[in-house]
Amino acid sequence: MSATSAVDQYDYDIIKKFSVMAVVWAVVGMFVGVYIASQLAWPFLNFDSPYISFGRFRPVHTGAVIFGFGGSALFATSYYVVQRTCQTRLFAPGLATFTFWGWQAVIVLAALSYVMGYSQGREYAEMEWPIDLLILFVWVAYMVVYIGTLMNRKQPHIYVANWFYLSFILVTALLHTFNNIAVPVDLFSMKSYSLFSGAQDAMTQWWYGHNAVGFFLTAAFLGMMYYFVPKHAGRPVYSYRLSIVHFWALSFMYMWVGTHHLHWTALPDWASTLGATFSIMLLLPSWGGMINGIMTLSGAWDKLRTDPIMRFMIVALSFYGMSTFEGPLMSLKDVNALSHYTDWTVGHVHSGALGWVAMIAFGSLYHMIPKLWNTQMYSVRLINAHFWLATIGVLLYITAMWISGISQGLMWRAFDDFGNLQYSFVESVAAMHPFYVMRAIGGMFYLTGMVLMAYNVYMTIRQGVRAAQTAATPATATA
Amino acid sequence: MFKNFKHEKIETNAGLLLVLTMLAVSVGGLVEIAPLFFIKDTMEKVDGVRPYTPLEQRGRDIYIREGCYTCHSQMIRPFRDEQLRYGHYSLAAESKYDHPFQWGSKRTGPDLARVGGKYSNEWHVQHMINPKSVVPESVMPNYPWLMETKLDISDVGDRMRALRRVGVPYSSNQEELDRNIERFGEDMARMLHIPDAQKNLVKQAQEGNYDGDRSSVSEMDALVAYLQMLGTLVDFSKIDPEELVKFR
Amino acid sequence: MIEWFSHPENTKPLGLVIFFVTFCLIVLWVYGRGKRSRKLEEHKNIPFLDDEDEVKDKPNG
Repeated sequence: MSATSAVDQYDYDIIKKFSVMAVVWAVVGMFVGVYIASQLAWPFLNFDSPYISFGRFRPVHTGAVIFGFGGSALFATSYYVVQRTCQTRLFAPGLATFTFWGWQAVIVLAALSYVMGYSQGREYAEMEWPIDLLILFVWVAYMVVYIGTLMNRKQPHIYVANWFYLSFILVTALLHTFNNIAVPVDLFSMKSYSLFSGAQDAMTQWWYGHNAVGFFLTAAFLGMMYYFVPKHAGRPVYSYRLSIVHFWALSFMYMWVGTHHLHWTALPDWASTLGATFSIMLLLPSWGGMINGIMTLSGAWDKLRTDPIMRFMIVALSFYGMSTFEGPLMSLKDVNALSHYTDWTVGHVHSGALGWVAMIAFGSLYHMIPKLWNTQMYSVRLINAHFWLATIGVLLYITAMWISGISQGLMWRAFDDFGNLQYSFVESVAAMHPFYVMRAIGGMFYLTGMVLMAYNVYMTIRQGVRAAQTAATPATATA
Repeated sequence: MFKNFKHEKIETNAGLLLVLTMLAVSVGGLVEIAPLFFIKDTMEKVDGVRPYTPLEQRGRDIYIREGCYTCHSQMIRPFRDEQLRYGHYSLAAESKYDHPFQWGSKRTGPDLARVGGKYSNEWHVQHMINPKSVVPESVMPNYPWLMETKLDISDVGDRMRALRRVGVPYSSNQEELDRNIERFGEDMARMLHIPDAQKNLVKQAQEGNYDGDRSSVSEMDALVAYLQMLGTLVDFSKIDPEELVKFR
Repeated sequence: MIEWFSHPENTKPLGLVIFFVTFCLIVLWVYGRGKRSRKLEEHKNIPFLDDEDEVKDKPNG
């Protein structure tokens, strides 16, 4: 039962690299997030500089947290989970190394190109065509490594976590390719124009945008959940059959719902109605999955009192349930008429991203990192502090955005007794100031927790490396 | 048939799992996206919509470069309050030459779909340089560099050629020019002629005098030219509202 | 034929039927006969077979 054998049994080097970068990008991305949130509260922070003005900096934030932090965490955990549940080493480790350097290059180049002013103007797909091509190469390599490893498995059954990871890899390839078809101005120009226009382009972009949420930020992190929650709790998932239903229902239904981002627009009505219908139905598999995760702990609830890692995982699942309830609600056309274009959407995204995605990733990384370096986490108290800072941060953030979002919606549609608009637009902007401050403070809490995690991970790795060195110096490797 | 269907076939066969997952995820996208490319009547036929002139297109490029879409939408919804605040709701036809679309998803600032003509050129210039000087409560960043930076017009022809390749009817030869003259009128068609792109751009900037400085063409010229034409192409007084409702 | 899809009165029930039939089929084969169900549930232990050299080669545990 010694963990030493696992270190030799599996290919850990690539996972270590991705884990460290996940932490690094989380700190960077969240810092930029707090900065742009502060720009909205205190606009002087734009400093009249083109490079850090809100419009160019915002994709730096989304890119660093989604693809830098989220992406690196997914590469790390998927390589870890696929090896351990298939009981085999990675297929084509050279290609896996390429995915690491390629992916890091993508994040850095994307961020640099945004501040320089190169953008496709499509949310979450702002990377211009040369970076898109690099992503494509990296993704094909990732697919080869992942599927190759699955094929080499010693275990006849493919564990359900891998199904989720696999659908994430497939769908991301599909989305990325079709949403980024563009014609460059010139072979040596960064600028390109998208093949589609107007309503078709909007449809393609939000088919991408929502499924990036559905498969990159949900399905893949569910894969993480289905391995790390049972593993860390020391008991198998509540119902394996429920997890299969969860998988197929989610894969099938998610792809329909993107049009709920385009309610009341010039997109044909039938398309957005279809999107809303499926959004409501999606509540069922989502909650099925949440219950499955939470019930895995049934009979071991006492762990929540003593183990902050477990707490991260359970709070993540609770936010998953909360966001997947809020999402269908906001996809109702009448609710959307109020919520669309407001901060409510921003709050919803962050309750999913900070509450669910980041917290399940923190829990998994805290579980995995000591195993990779064959040691214990440096400080459990710091994990606990991180947990509370993160939880308070999210709550501040989403409360601020609920209030400001709903007030914006109500102020925009308010009429006075004479049937005129009651508020000018800028009055609604001025009214948001306190909530923008509150949101920035929430973000600062969350970022502080993240910095504690980075320090804790750094000390853990140092401790693991030192222990390995002292074990190696006597040159008497234990048999 | 289903009697022989073993679940293990999927769970133990990576290839089959791959194919079935692919099938499951493809249905939704196909049903929703594909029709948009084939159905003719998703879009109203309205007069007036035309491609952007070279100067306006360069302004649009700057709009995208500065990430304006992160705070401003260009899509007015069919509600009474939006009608009063912004104007007639947006039509699909109005963005048919938009590569990419810029409908946006967030209104930290107001919608811009029909901002054209609402404010003077001077107001826009002052507002871009220092928004607080005209709207004290504004949280918009200052964009002083637009006034200071000369507009790069060297590749405007290449840009139009790329747009032509994705379907925008810019003309590159006499035959296409003649077709555009019929479609958009003599003056506009000549504006959309690729071989004259640079000449046309400079001419529009000087005649329009968007940034108040005729001596050179700045990025401000291009951006203001773009903002001033947004939403102005369709004359709604000539359209029967009942006709438009059919497309919603 | 593609035009048929553009009418919500067609696509709404179609979506419902496709979704419902698929869902029923999945539920049927997952929760179907007792033997398959039991076999399926055993797979939940896979994450606990990974740490040691005692890799199980027996099919389906």
